[in-house]
Amino acid sequence: MLSARSCWRNASKTPYRHARYIVAAEGRHDSLDAIISFPDTQSGEGAEEEQHGQATISSGLAGKSIAVKDNIVTKDLPTTAASRILAGYASPFDATVVKLLRQHGAAISSKTNLDEFGMGSHSQNTNAGPVLSPYSRNGLPLSPGGSSGGSAVAVATEQCWAALGTDTGGSVRLPAAYSGVVGFKPSYGLLSRWGVIQYANSLDTVGVLAQSVEDARQVFRSLDVFDAEDPTSLPVSVRQRMRLQNSGSGQLRIGVPKEYNIQELSSSVRSAYARTLNALLAAGHTLHQISLPSTRRALSAYYVLAPAEASSNLAKYDGIRYGYRTSGPDALPKDNLPLYAQTRGEGFGEEVKRRILLGAYTLSSEAIDNYFIQAQKVRRLVQQDFDRVFAQSNPLLHADTSNSLNAEGVDIILTPTAPTLPPTVEEVKRQSPVESYMNDVFTVPASLAGLPAISVSVPLSGQEREGLDEHDVNSVGMQVIGQFGDDESVLAAAKVVEDLYY
Amino acid sequence: MKTPTARIAPLHLSRTLHSSFHANLRVPRASVVSKWLRSRNLTTAPALAQEAVPLRKHLKDEAKRKKAEAKINGVAKKLKTDPRLEKWELAVGIEIHAELNTECKLFSSGPTEGSDGVANSRVAFFDAALPGTQPQFQVATLLPALRAAIALGCEVQRKSGWDRKHYFHWDQPNGYQITQYYEPFAKNGTLTLSASDGVPTSDLNGADSIGIGIKQIQMEQDTAKTTHHPPSTYHIDLNRAGHPLIEVITLPHIHSPQTAAAVVRKIQAILRSVDACVTGMELGGLRADVNVSIRERGTEGTGSSYSGVSGLGQRTEIKNLSSFKAVEDAIVAERDRQIAVLEAEGVIEGETRGWTLGATETTRLRGKEGEVDYRYMPDADLPPLVVGSDLVDHLRVTMPELPDETVDRVERQYGVTLKDAKTMVDLDDGDRLEFLEETVELVLRRSGDQATDQLRVGKLVGNWILHELGGLLATTETSWATMTITPVEVADVLVNLQNKQITARVAKQLLSTLNDTSTSPRPSVDHLIDEGNLRLRPLSDEGYEVLAMQIMDESPDMVAAVREKGQKGKIMWFVGQMVRRGEEGTVEPENAREVLERLLSD
Repeated sequence: MLSARSCWRNASKTPYRHARYIVAAEGRHDSLDAIISFPDTQSGEGAEEEQHGQATISSGLAGKSIAVKDNIVTKDLPTTAASRILAGYASPFDATVVKLLRQHGAAISSKTNLDEFGMGSHSQNTNAGPVLSPYSRNGLPLSPGGSSGGSAVAVATEQCWAALGTDTGGSVRLPAAYSGVVGFKPSYGLLSRWGVIQYANSLDTVGVLAQSVEDARQVFRSLDVFDAEDPTSLPVSVRQRMRLQNSGSGQLRIGVPKEYNIQELSSSVRSAYARTLNALLAAGHTLHQISLPSTRRALSAYYVLAPAEASSNLAKYDGIRYGYRTSGPDALPKDNLPLYAQTRGEGFGEEVKRRILLGAYTLSSEAIDNYFIQAQKVRRLVQQDFDRVFAQSNPLLHADTSNSLNAEGVDIILTPTAPTLPPTVEEVKRQSPVESYMNDVFTVPASLAGLPAISVSVPLSGQEREGLDEHDVNSVGMQVIGQFGDDESVLAAAKVVEDLYY
Repeated sequence: MKTPTARIAPLHLSRTLHSSFHANLRVPRASVVSKWLRSRNLTTAPALAQEAVPLRKHLKDEAKRKKAEAKINGVAKKLKTDPRLEKWELAVGIEIHAELNTECKLFSSGPTEGSDGVANSRVAFFDAALPGTQPQFQVATLLPALRAAIALGCEVQRKSGWDRKHYFHWDQPNGYQITQYYEPFAKNGTLTLSASDGVPTSDLNGADSIGIGIKQIQMEQDTAKTTHHPPSTYHIDLNRAGHPLIEVITLPHIHSPQTAAAVVRKIQAILRSVDACVTGMELGGLRADVNVSIRERGTEGTGSSYSGVSGLGQRTEIKNLSSFKAVEDAIVAERDRQIAVLEAEGVIEGETRGWTLGATETTRLRGKEGEVDYRYMPDADLPPLVVGSDLVDHLRVTMPELPDETVDRVERQYGVTLKDAKTMVDLDDGDRLEFLEETVELVLRRSGDQATDQLRVGKLVGNWILHELGGLLATTETSWATMTITPVEVADVLVNLQNKQITARVAKQLLSTLNDTSTSPRPSVDHLIDEGNLRLRPLSDEGYEVLAMQIMDESPDMVAAVREKGQKGKIMWFVGQMVRRGEEGTVEPENAREVLERLLSD
């Protein structure tokens, strides 16, 4: 860990804004439970040398320490997805994204904590102990956001230069917003999922958490390659087509969705959002009210689809070939139960079990038509909502996008990442599951449509910070969403927002 | 049971594990199909060393099967008078699972053959459902599946999809099977069967053949193999996990147990002939589930319907039948059980039942309330399967002959009987037929005028290969696979016979000598003839008469039998005596008969 940190210090010329607070926090709870496992420190400097020695591509990532969410498999460190069911699991192979990081000379500094299998919005549902935000309110720790909370906190507290997360319904963007860092979810299919433990595989996306948009872009570009191991990896021909259509920077046409002005939006978030929009207007960009009418239903659809896929993807964990197994005898076949009812019961946490049950129900023959099929239809509507408002047409639907620009359309959409500032972990505990699902209302639509989206932090003004103590957060996340495949424009727009303040 | 709390995936799980297979065994000569495939670089499997079934066993089995068939047909005729069957009508639909002949698994590069049966040696990461692994559709597995679909007259769908069928069992590492539930790749085929396939006349209703509708064919993954080590240990071998299967689903167009067995037998033969599947039922490469229902004739049953076939009774499903006999016997038993229930005013319940060989009754496995809800959902990792019509057309045009077509051609081209043609095609995986074709060509090439002689020569060669050579192999207990006689040698023998250089008796002797003589080097047929002084040295007319008179003198009783009692058949006894008594290679039976007939009529 020390070597990882010194690595970052050497590499980073621009220590970021929250660094001072973090160092103070270090003595208290060190890693804030952001990390699940570190490389074997016994091997010391030698091991680090060896890792750097693997670089085969000359890259800006050389020598950088990058943490990896613990649901992405690594050969040299255990991979548990923060679940007891995978306790001690060592993968015989590296995920493609990990392999690429190594090829670019980055050092995998640690595996970061998360909500078990990515299921949660506050990184509290974990077998490795809840992740704590570096921030607190009236002495109570705040939620770091989830499920990539460990990665976000590790970046915010300089335990690494950047980190990989996964984003299924907002799991990179939400913790980035709550922890004051940048969190980028690329278009679905750009970054390989080979070696990424599935939660809801039609939504799962590898994302990047970093201190700045520039750093996130650098990591993203290193990983943005076709991978034959991942059957959903976008083929080279589609990537080339998308590259041609990227709508460059300059003056942005920015969409402001009216459906995102919801009752639950807190005043400080609302105020910071308005302030940011005004600043963009002042900088010469144009604002356009747009309508995304399926937004509300998107959240419900997400919480049908994701658990349905989860119930299927998690069926493989039976303790037979690997992972946790109950200590006593498990159900006998003569009881007509599989050999692992007990094992699964003990191995999964409560939220995971809740979603498996929910998913098993919505896929059952009596419920599938009313739930799963309806949710798929909503998903299509959400995608159509976005296709209607963007200037660019969707490259997956139209092979030739060169002259299909929608003149009335927008380049990007700007929204808050979450409706409120982070709650305290105590408040999270009191929330019902459905209330906590509410946190994802702004991030889920882009996930359903597979769109690139990034959360970038905007400092709270003095007025917006009123009533908050000095240990509370001092920024709020703003989300930039772009058309499918328009990832570079999203990153460029995020940079524009970032440059307004830093 | 061992209960380790944390285990690590073994590092030796190899993604590309290949090894040569049965290097020391004599590999049977490649069939026409695999040659055809190889010539187009379309081979999807290594040349397989199949377990060679000795000819004798094969002939025996065939005979047994025919006998059994005859018996069953007899029984069926008898049963027709059974008032119960006059009243109740059977309807059966079959689902056949067959292992596709491919080099790798359906969704991984894990090999399907090799490592000589070492458990868990052919397992890619995905086959063991390791965290973070995804399926990768192996396009090569599509070719045998498409050939099967075309051979069974199905419409190949341009677009089909992959679905997950969920159920928990340790033989299924992912907790679901990837199959094609919502959109199968082939639909709407027909299987045509005739009496020679084993369809009883009562099912034919006076027609030459019947058509059984095929609802669909889908591709799917096989499961792992479990072996039970009593009392409570199970070993799981993942080698078979993920092996590609096709499932062929027929409509409930089948109305007798014998026809059901004929359907399974015929589908197996067709799948073999197009090289889609090489392992038959006897080796576990093919398994069948049958859906059985009955209804009172002239009624609409319980009004149930299946895929457009309506007016059926409530059906039950009997799972996992692994032989033709099991298919037939299980249906008989289930039909009789359903009749008994309905005649006692009971109700048939929709349930899954099992059958063990030799049993007289099917047994209930689970009822409707115990049915697994498979929670089918599309597999989001797998893009739809799109098959271009150009590929289908290409495969259709270059499709090898189907068994019925081959039988028809052999009958026409070589002038053999339908029965002999069918046997020739069935034997030795087509190897026997190829032997015939090579031999006929050699004989024709040596005797000039091809067109007019083909039928005559074909008949001659067919007769010798099937009956003389077959008989020789049977009496010497030689298997076809280990037989060393070549088409060239048979052609040499038959050309000599045709040109009256040797007698038929000598020809048989030569085959026997060849069979007993080791190759490397073996003297040529002509050399053997000269060496043994076997060449025909025809007797003069006087010579024949002298020999005939001699035998007649020795057997006045026989002479009297022919002359006085008119027992003309006894003439052949004299012919036999002459052939035996004359010096080897001097007496031709036809000539002897002519002489004898003249002398005995005096």
